[in-house]
Amino acid sequence: MTQTTDTNLIIGILALQGAFVEHEMALQKLPIQKKIDVVLVRTPGELARCQALVIPGGESTTIALLARLSGLLEPLREFVRVKPVWGTCAGAILLAKAVVGAKKGGQELLGGMSITIARNGWGSQLESFEADLDVTGLRDSERPFTGIFIRAPVVLTLEPSLEDPPIHVVSRLSPSLLPESLTSSNSTPEPKSFVALRQGHHFLTTFHPELTRDNRFHEYFVRECVLPSISPPRP
Amino acid sequence: MSTPSITPSVNTPIPQSAGGAAVPLAAPARLTQREAGNSLGTFGVKSGLAQMLKGGVIMDVVNAEQARIAEEAGACAVMALERVPADIRAEGGVARMSDPHMIKQIVDAVTIPVMAKVRIGHFVEAQILQAIGVDYIDESEVLTPADEEHHINKHNFKVPFVCGARNLGEALRRISEGAAMIRTKGEAGTGNVVEAVRHERAVMAEIRRASSMNEEELYAFAKEIQAPFHLLKETARLKRLPVVNFAAGGIATPADAALMMHLGCDGVFVGSGIFHSGDPAKRARAIVQAVTHYNNPKILAEVSENLGAAMVGLTIDNKLKGGEYAKRGW
Repeated sequence: MTQTTDTNLIIGILALQGAFVEHEMALQKLPIQKKIDVVLVRTPGELARCQALVIPGGESTTIALLARLSGLLEPLREFVRVKPVWGTCAGAILLAKAVVGAKKGGQELLGGMSITIARNGWGSQLESFEADLDVTGLRDSERPFTGIFIRAPVVLTLEPSLEDPPIHVVSRLSPSLLPESLTSSNSTPEPKSFVALRQGHHFLTTFHPELTRDNRFHEYFVRECVLPSISPPRP
Repeated sequence: MSTPSITPSVNTPIPQSAGGAAVPLAAPARLTQREAGNSLGTFGVKSGLAQMLKGGVIMDVVNAEQARIAEEAGACAVMALERVPADIRAEGGVARMSDPHMIKQIVDAVTIPVMAKVRIGHFVEAQILQAIGVDYIDESEVLTPADEEHHINKHNFKVPFVCGARNLGEALRRISEGAAMIRTKGEAGTGNVVEAVRHERAVMAEIRRASSMNEEELYAFAKEIQAPFHLLKETARLKRLPVVNFAAGGIATPADAALMMHLGCDGVFVGSGIFHSGDPAKRARAIVQAVTHYNNPKILAEVSENLGAAMVGLTIDNKLKGGEYAKRGW
């Protein structure tokens, strides 16, 4: 009985489709002081309980449709306006302001981060890969992180307005690993080499930290995005 | 450094030797530059894509128009094939890999992953599908087997494979050959869920038995079910298959899909059940919602209303036209 439940962090994971169980297991094993209660979010009522949200990998078109059919689309947009959200892969697409390579007829986004992102930046599953990533700001930052990129999106442009919080690059991929279709011109590799970005209390990764046993990105999200956004408890 | 650095996926539930993908004959030339500092086609990215499909519905489609309907209805992937299983059953004859041109049209029509089927043991059909860039291959008993002893050595490919299984031993043999995803066989093209239920219950019951065994008992059990010991031991530890496990074969309604999720499946394939029904778009969307909300009978009731006619189901007995596909595979 060292902690009461009302001091626990309540972090939701959008559980409409995709790899949400993997995020749940990673969050429950974090080396932080506070205990984390994970809520698998499928309804507006479940979302309302959460102090922060993780949008997992999956298919962005499927997740967006299920969000609309579950009455979650507007509650999610409102949530993104005020609370911390981390999107991985499909979740990163949903957090973008604009998307290139959407399904025919376009697809719905939540916004939240001032970027344009391209779906399936490398192409089909044959181009999916693993690569060591340099990470800054994570625990043991001298130790590279195994990034697993599965039909991963690519960040095309950063477009923060003057009112928006600045965008921090947390991890980048070696430019030699970028798809040739995006590097054929003599443009700089940036921002296409950015694979983990933080803007204010929002965070995105185009790869899948939840598919590894290395939970440093989960720890980063809680430390840098979730904890600072929670007002200190009243005495 | 003369050898490229390898970055094994630290979560890979299977010894790295199981995922050591050799360079396939049909590897696209443009991969060479990126192969130097990273690893393509590792078991981590193969099983990882299956993990991204969890909680989703993979729908059989025979043309680009159906593929678009499936994508709009929320499918997490489509299976491109020339005839759905119910038609293969009705028409008879040898069923083979689909025309690559037709598969490419479907790849171009949608943004979600595209799967396609090859005959059991037909590794050249698999090389062809890898060359045109499909996202997943189903080595499927629905097509007429090309080899009555051997399955494809799936480690030799960069493209991941899904295979059918009726029980734990069969599932682990397929994983041992390199399958990165498993599905029940069920009885495809019947609209009758009974065989899929039988297969999923068999897998889960054997996993529960294995998880309470000590090591000596596991050696004996591995021999009994003809499964590799190291995969059985890992399954017993995890208390689930070490790769994603979908339901397939006979799923026709939202309730069928939810039933399979309750029995322990990670997601659902729907074959003939959608485009052989009265209102495919509506039924497809309802099954997608049923997989997400399988635990919520109130939502299941709502999405099951007014779906129009379901596909006509078939009784599975020795008079079944086309025979029992689930018995194919070894």
